Amino acid sequence: MRRPLQIKAEEDSVRSVVSLTSALETLSSMQIAKTKNKVLISNQFFDEVWNIYKQIRVDVMFNFGRKIDEKPIEKELLILITAKAGLSGDIDNRLIKKVVDHYDETKNDVLVIGHHGALKLKQAHIDHTYYFDLPEHDYINVDPLMDITRKYAKSRIFYQHYISLSQQDIKDVDLSEVVSSKGRTADLSTVGKDLVTEKTYIFEPSSYQVAAYLENSILRLTISQFIYDSRLAQVASRFKAMSAAKERSIANAAELRLEFNRAKRNLVDTRLKESLAGLKKIRAGGA
Amino acid sequence: MADVDTPQADELAKEESAPARRSGKPTMQVKVYAPFKVYFEGEASSVSAVNATGPFDVLPRHHNFLCMLVPCNLAIVSPAGNKTIKISRALMHVKADSVVVFMDV
Repeated sequence: MRRPLQIKAEEDSVRSVVSLTSALETLSSMQIAKTKNKVLISNQFFDEVWNIYKQIRVDVMFNFGRKIDEKPIEKELLILITAKAGLSGDIDNRLIKKVVDHYDETKNDVLVIGHHGALKLKQAHIDHTYYFDLPEHDYINVDPLMDITRKYAKSRIFYQHYISLSQQDIKDVDLSEVVSSKGRTADLSTVGKDLVTEKTYIFEPSSYQVAAYLENSILRLTISQFIYDSRLAQVASRFKAMSAAKERSIANAAELRLEFNRAKRNLVDTRLKESLAGLKKIRAGGA
Repeated sequence: MADVDTPQADELAKEESAPARRSGKPTMQVKVYAPFKVYFEGEASSVSAVNATGPFDVLPRHHNFLCMLVPCNLAIVSPAGNKTIKISRALMHVKADSVVVFMDV
């Protein structure tokens, strides 16, 4: 059996893990509230722009804002939105697993957002073609990412979706599909008198230029929305991981406390036995 | 029985479609915002900005209008005071005396 002092030292270190995980859990819970609030605020903005887009783009194929004569790379670009560092639970591992299942070297190029995802991808023996840090600020400049997306015939985005505090999902969607589906929903019967056409609206500089601009805006907003959603899922996953780690360390500390008490009692018992044995010897010698 | 003036249906409709008035001046609802920040929200009697065609003003009863703004200072004349907002990239949507400027899109 280990000495009580050794057990006590281990228990102290486990107790400091409890404090650390508890602090990280509180921090994650604050981040969730903040991020969730921001996602809700931004959703109103996105919805209004979507609404205009739905009514203006009724019959035009989405083409990532490319010019008609521009030839795209005939590959599918996989865009991965991952955490900037560890401590996000298993959410990045799940995302990488999904990417590995989909990945075909001859058909795909990979763009990674977030350092943690890039590391995990390397461990899965997949080299990324492009890399970006996960943006930390509210305003996300996705223009460099859009310039790359525009070069490819197809783009698929893998992101982390927040469902609830205890549940986060990994999703993948075809970027052109998700954007063009918004346009397709706006058929004449659904938009009615709200239809934005040259008959009902003045466009400046021209209807074509406004529609092309809006198409780019929608792509920009879609990517931003996925990044915000992933950020929220990541902090929720971190909260979940920290809660689990805290519970585990509390249980460990309780076990170590029990072991310490046993070891201490055992030591006292041994000393008592030794004293009694010594006493018996003295009495036997004296008699 | 005393005669009571009853407004005709078309007059009522006119009143409904007429822009709101503040101290005698017709006004419209204006909102200038980005995903995380509202720069202005309230009534205004005019909004001035610049697009690729040139500088322009939006007044109450303006026709439905959708345009891309170029970098400029957006000027809002409002009963609460005038306001100028610096724009780098924005979309302006005008419909039924409601002006919405989507910044950074």
